[in-house]
Amino acid sequence: MEAASVSQPTQAKRRKKSGAVGSEPRTPWWLWLAVAAIVIFCLLPFYWLINISLKTGADLSGSDIVPPSPSFDNYTSIFENANFTKALRNSAIVSLVTTLLGIVVGSFAAYALARLQMRGKGILLAIVLSITTFPQIAIAAPLFRLWADVGIYDTLIGLVIPYLTFALPLSIYILVSFFREIPKDLEEAALVDGATHFEAFRKVVVPLAAPGLATTAILTFIAAWNEFLLATTLTSSPSARTTPVAISQFTGSSQFEVPLGTQSAASVVISIPLIILVLLFQKRIVAGLTAGAVKG
Amino acid sequence: MRVNRHVAVFLGCAALMGGLVAGCGDDDDDGGGGAASEETGTTEGAKVIDVASMDNAKGEVTFCLGKDTSGDKTALAKQFNEENPGITVKLLEFSTSADEQRAQFVQRQEAKSGECDVFYSDVIWTAEFASQKWIFDMTPYVKQREAEVIPATLETVNYDGKFWGMPQQTDAAFLYYRTDQVKEPPGTWQEAYQIAGENDGIVYQGAPYEGLTCDFLELAYAAGGEVLNEDGTQAVIDSPENVKALQFMVDGVKNGVAARGVTTYMEEESRRYWESGKATFMRNWPYAYALGQKKGTAVAGKFDVAPFPEFEGAGKAAILGGHNYVISVFSDNPGASLKYTDWMTQKESQKEMFLNYSLAPVLTEVYEDPDIKKKYPFAEQLQESVAQARARPVSPVYPQISQAIYKNVNEALAGRTSPEEALKTAQSEMQSALETF
Amino acid sequence: MSDTATLRAGTPQKRRSRGIPERRLAVYMVAPSVALIALVALWPIIYAIWLSLHEYSLRQAGLSRWAEPAGLGNYTDALWGDESADFWSATRVTFIFTIASVILETIIGLAMALAMHSAFKGQGLLRTVVLVPWAVLTVVTAIMWRTIFDPNLGFVNSLLGTNTVWLGEEPQALMVMIFADVWKTAPFMALLLLAGLQVIPGEIYEAAKVDGANMWQRFRKITLPLLMPALLVALIFRTLDALRAFDLPKVLTNGANDTTTLSLLAQRTFQENRLYGEGSALSILTFIIVMIVSFGYIRLVGGNIRGMTEE
Repeated sequence: MEAASVSQPTQAKRRKKSGAVGSEPRTPWWLWLAVAAIVIFCLLPFYWLINISLKTGADLSGSDIVPPSPSFDNYTSIFENANFTKALRNSAIVSLVTTLLGIVVGSFAAYALARLQMRGKGILLAIVLSITTFPQIAIAAPLFRLWADVGIYDTLIGLVIPYLTFALPLSIYILVSFFREIPKDLEEAALVDGATHFEAFRKVVVPLAAPGLATTAILTFIAAWNEFLLATTLTSSPSARTTPVAISQFTGSSQFEVPLGTQSAASVVISIPLIILVLLFQKRIVAGLTAGAVKG
Repeated sequence: MRVNRHVAVFLGCAALMGGLVAGCGDDDDDGGGGAASEETGTTEGAKVIDVASMDNAKGEVTFCLGKDTSGDKTALAKQFNEENPGITVKLLEFSTSADEQRAQFVQRQEAKSGECDVFYSDVIWTAEFASQKWIFDMTPYVKQREAEVIPATLETVNYDGKFWGMPQQTDAAFLYYRTDQVKEPPGTWQEAYQIAGENDGIVYQGAPYEGLTCDFLELAYAAGGEVLNEDGTQAVIDSPENVKALQFMVDGVKNGVAARGVTTYMEEESRRYWESGKATFMRNWPYAYALGQKKGTAVAGKFDVAPFPEFEGAGKAAILGGHNYVISVFSDNPGASLKYTDWMTQKESQKEMFLNYSLAPVLTEVYEDPDIKKKYPFAEQLQESVAQARARPVSPVYPQISQAIYKNVNEALAGRTSPEEALKTAQSEMQSALETF
Repeated sequence: MSDTATLRAGTPQKRRSRGIPERRLAVYMVAPSVALIALVALWPIIYAIWLSLHEYSLRQAGLSRWAEPAGLGNYTDALWGDESADFWSATRVTFIFTIASVILETIIGLAMALAMHSAFKGQGLLRTVVLVPWAVLTVVTAIMWRTIFDPNLGFVNSLLGTNTVWLGEEPQALMVMIFADVWKTAPFMALLLLAGLQVIPGEIYEAAKVDGANMWQRFRKITLPLLMPALLVALIFRTLDALRAFDLPKVLTNGANDTTTLSLLAQRTFQENRLYGEGSALSILTFIIVMIVSFGYIRLVGGNIRGMTEE
């Protein structure tokens, strides 16, 4: 009874806004406006990027909003460049490995910090956070020397290690807050049933924290994919270079010319895997929610 | 309680690592007397190249450079390898950004790594590298070939009385002008600006970066000003001539003769502005010539280039760009490195570089070559430009000197400070940089 | 029941004879992270501190000396000596940039997250679109913004009817920088906040609606408090990121027109000018400033962070 009477005013509100009568909530017009605003806000410079990538030659000097004579030349030329395709492969490997390891290592540490008994948690959290505060430039040079001495300079593993390290703070913090949200009763029930702490973690907590893990995975992947400073410092040959570095090496006809066309095309190309990834992961987020709905 | 124990462990580790670092820290003073504070740079004890090591040289040479944009280095290296079966030259390409290239080379030299045997050093870096004794003193070799190269290029490898590299490629900018608006190239800068004011204005590089240092010095040197004194120990940029030059530039911006937004432009932005037909004049490097003539630009077939005109009542000047070949002291094959350097600076390679790849050579005789003259309509102007060109200030603290120039000149151009104030500040900033230990 | 009570009290359970003891498990689980951090981050930091206590000669290779007084010369120079004008200016710029960016990003990010959370068709696509700014390289978008804001080659001036040289004037240049940063990271905030929104059980809202709460009340009393943990994480990381801004100012303006941030100043001193002592000191000072801010955060919202780790 109460429900009916309360939903009346809410429905009436909606009716006023959408102008339609019905028992199903219609998406209000202001929501569509907000969505349109969001889409334009996010995509405008990206459109500009695509715009430039379809221009060649003298058109690149103009400021036309639509390419006067669009062509895919820039795209074909970057794929003919063996170094670029190698760089794509390298980026994929480094980013995937970093992400997978990052989820594992990060979730282990986050679980210990969120749920297990141990000493010095505050210190650890502080140290983990402090990693993010250090300017990257000061890390690059010493790492170069260390890696050269150890022999992993100019290798993919040489990139994975620092990427993994710098992915940890955000991963740990996100996952700690996610793990904390999960009611303890579920783990305790598992423990009562005879599971070890680790099994409780693996079988109960991890599935429930799927949205958090998916979010962490996406952010880690993107960070590794787009990282430039360490990549350019710790690699020197096409066999280990990643795409941001490869793009910085695109050349025009002279040392002064900045090949905007090919650089834009390459930037569009390397954004695509990220976009696809997000599209895929979204379903995971939603699935994770409905499958193991967090119930009190 | 628990926290304290962990903190103690952490600090203990830190102390231990600190101790380790102290042991292998960089503060040994090998070479150079050990005196705690010498005011002038000294390159005593630098390794000198042995010219004879060129003969019978064998082995691998790694040539480090920025991305081989024109493709000439790759092609020529292949040719060299074929002609010299005992030596193999490999290219190691860094980013296209000049700052990146320098950072990569410096990083290796700091680590005493011999990864780069030869480096394609921008002309403004050579003095820095020399002061750190990271590169060979090549005086015995360069002296043999002194007469063959354009004199101005030798300025860029000359530091502390010695030659530290071999000039290989040079560059000097032009005054581009629209032939449909300007009948003949102006005789003075003042005339140029006046014509520009009556037409579509002038565009150049006014963003606060190295390019602005070039643009400003082109006018300042022409007006008779200097940046450093004879021995490079004092800053003398605050002088009436320089103030005059800067005032001239500032007036140009104020009167709208200079393109709106010029204070944020580098080479590419000014080239794009020029190619969309919006300007009567442009100051830019020769690379923009071929690009401007491409079908589709608004200026194709409607422009020509000229060496810089005179600054009224004073002289002419241009700034030298380009690269030198330098050899790292940590190289394990200086002989082969020198052979490669020598080969790249002989007439055939230099002509090939110019003829097929549009890179200006350092050997004077190449400019006289009839094939060259036929191919490049601007070969003569280029030679003239280079002949009247000067090197930028040669100093181990060049980055700071350049910053002092471009930061303050940009402030003046943006109207936030007067030319006098700007140059006064520049001078004091430069002076404190020159006095660094 | 008694077993569960024992569990809740936190004392070791008698029953468990299998599996690794809790404390040891915790150490094992934390160990990989600690090892990585020690290897990759600790060593460079200590090395940087060592560098910052010295002066290295620009004119003579290998020559260095202790930075007077007592090794702290580089720090005193930066704080109140010759370099202090540059240092404090960079600090001011960094803080203005951070505060403005983070506030705007949070508001816009929250709005985006709320919009994305509402059920409607095409929601999945919208979430992907929203991530595009974060996905494109900062360097590339900075170049785009430079062109877009150019008075001759871009369209902002024609759009707004102005004639400004955006990147050539103070404070317009800083405004453009803030705008570019907000554009790129509001989606990041939106993603984090969306994840936080998604774990709030729908039943709570239903119950509130039944109780007669309107949209604004629901937002204030349910959404905001329950979103706090996610909001906090997002805020801390965005603030720390913004305080270390380097890529954006470097490509957009190279620090001109009052846009030099602390990281840019440190990098220029360290790498371009090869003043390793001064540059390291600036890095360490940046590090300290950022640490102070993060501890400030933790203090301010004490309960939540400490609560992260309490039983």
